[in-house]
Amino acid sequence: MNKIIAMVRKELIDAARDKRSVMAGLYYAIGTPLIMCGLFMVLIGQLTSPDDLKISITNPDKAPDLVRFLSNKGITQGEAGAKDLKAIELIISPDYAKQMNQGKGAEITIVADNSEEKLQNSIRRLEKQLQAYSAEMGSLRLIARGIDPRVVQPLKVNVHDQATTDSKGGMILGIAIFTMIYSVFISGMNLAIDTSAGERERNSLALLLSHPLTTRQLVLSKIIAVGLFALLGLVLILLVSKVAYTFVPWQELGFSVSITSEFMALMLLVGIPVALMAACLQLFVSFMAKTFKEAQSYLTMVLFVPLALSMAASYNIAPDVLQWLPVSGQQQALMDFIKGKDMNMLQLLVSTLGTLAIAVILALGMEKSLKSEKVIFGL
Amino acid sequence: MIKVSHLSKRIGEVQALNDLSFVAENGQITGLLGPNGAGKTTCLRTIFGLLKPDTGTAEIEGIDVAIDPIGAKQQLGLFPDPFGLYERLTPREYIRYFAELSGLSASDAKEATSKVIAKLRLEDISDRRCKGFSQGQRMKTALAQAIVHSPSNIILDEPTRGLDVMSTRLLRDILIDLKNQGHCVLFSSHVMQEVAALCDQVIVMAQGRVVAIGSPEQLCAQTGKASLEDAFIQLIGTDEGIAA
Repeated sequence: MNKIIAMVRKELIDAARDKRSVMAGLYYAIGTPLIMCGLFMVLIGQLTSPDDLKISITNPDKAPDLVRFLSNKGITQGEAGAKDLKAIELIISPDYAKQMNQGKGAEITIVADNSEEKLQNSIRRLEKQLQAYSAEMGSLRLIARGIDPRVVQPLKVNVHDQATTDSKGGMILGIAIFTMIYSVFISGMNLAIDTSAGERERNSLALLLSHPLTTRQLVLSKIIAVGLFALLGLVLILLVSKVAYTFVPWQELGFSVSITSEFMALMLLVGIPVALMAACLQLFVSFMAKTFKEAQSYLTMVLFVPLALSMAASYNIAPDVLQWLPVSGQQQALMDFIKGKDMNMLQLLVSTLGTLAIAVILALGMEKSLKSEKVIFGL
Repeated sequence: MIKVSHLSKRIGEVQALNDLSFVAENGQITGLLGPNGAGKTTCLRTIFGLLKPDTGTAEIEGIDVAIDPIGAKQQLGLFPDPFGLYERLTPREYIRYFAELSGLSASDAKEATSKVIAKLRLEDISDRRCKGFSQGQRMKTALAQAIVHSPSNIILDEPTRGLDVMSTRLLRDILIDLKNQGHCVLFSSHVMQEVAALCDQVIVMAQGRVVAIGSPEQLCAQTGKASLEDAFIQLIGTDEGIAA
């Protein structure tokens, strides 16, 4: 036990002095929440205040009331040749005023290329406003004739949005949670490589194994050191997220996103087995690699697996079985928690046990491989 | 005491050790002398249990390395080739770390580290990080690591490589000192001078086999040559891989 403590302490001192290991964790833990915040801000800005829609209107003087109505809704006559002018033309018939006065269908024409993907939204927006104007005029005419306009609206559709404010933010938080889980994998990675492939490359692995300690002690202390580093990255990203996410104007979306203390506690608790598995996985792969560089390229490939699992869970594109798997199961539970839903404890338990099982298998594999001459001397 | 009996080890196509047997006694300096590729390092790694012999046993103080590796390694100190320093640790941290790994308690390790630093006159560099150390400074740090826990047996793999005269002298003094305290010192080398100057017993190795065992004088007498170098060449039958 004393030997394990001595080894963990040495690994942590060594890692803390290794700029490469520290920076890798720091950059990710501090940078990612800030980038996410920036993205969310831009996203919210685009969703809530649609730009003015500039179109060409022919004969606007024939329908001053309609033009005023449209401009109230942000659809205006654009200057010819202006950059933001959309290729949509609204032609008001020269007889518009006359037809309107006589209570006939007043003719207007939209000229646009319907096949153009980018224009679809703008065309639909224009159509919708024209419909609204048309309905308003119709109601006015009925009232003028002493008829209740509701007569021509046999259906009254009410929509009750059942989404709670937090569950709307769930999708966005899914991505945020994903970045947090992934921090466990990123933060310890450099240390894992340095303490395994790097240790052998510096010829200290053989020296270490020449001392009276078991390979189990060696493997355990390395896992603990890398796992601690990974958790440190997680704590850091949680703290930065907690502060940074308060700067995003969530209220404009009509819901709130806040990293509560309960969520942070749960995230840490769920993160511990994931950190252990990440440590085992990275150490195992790095011990198998012959050199530092080789370990780096293998790990980049291996880390795609948890990335894919986590992404699949946050985008809901995955089959149900994913909810029982390591990483994606925990991600699902955390997302349920943040949405205010009940967590499926069984799923969380199964995925956590699965995570630990993988960790133990990898640790035993490592213990065995460190008795092999090939692994010790990188033959 | 280190006892090696009938060690054989094949690495790939090469028969690195071939029925190797010898004994290194306590209170003696034993030199393992052989040309490059004779199997010296393989032999030392086998004593530490890092390599498993195909046949044969290695015993330290009567403990078989294959059966009780922890107990056997408890009796050993290793000065390895290459040194395996941690560049980001200071010698004090480095020495203390390995002292604790050798089984010393935290406080004992601290005390032993201070003692060995004073003994090897490492004070001026003991709290600087190892990165950028000269070869001599590295050697001293590695040597301190090997003897900090006062093991009864000390194994050195090519200890004088790349050292200047001052460092070589210091190393010699330390080894003689250890011998006088009754430790068993076993080192491998292909440098004649240091073997002739230091060793009570020389084991001449070639192609994984013991060619001759005896004191430098005995080896000279046995071959009828005046110098150990000539005796050595006579014994292994070639002058390949020898540094004068």
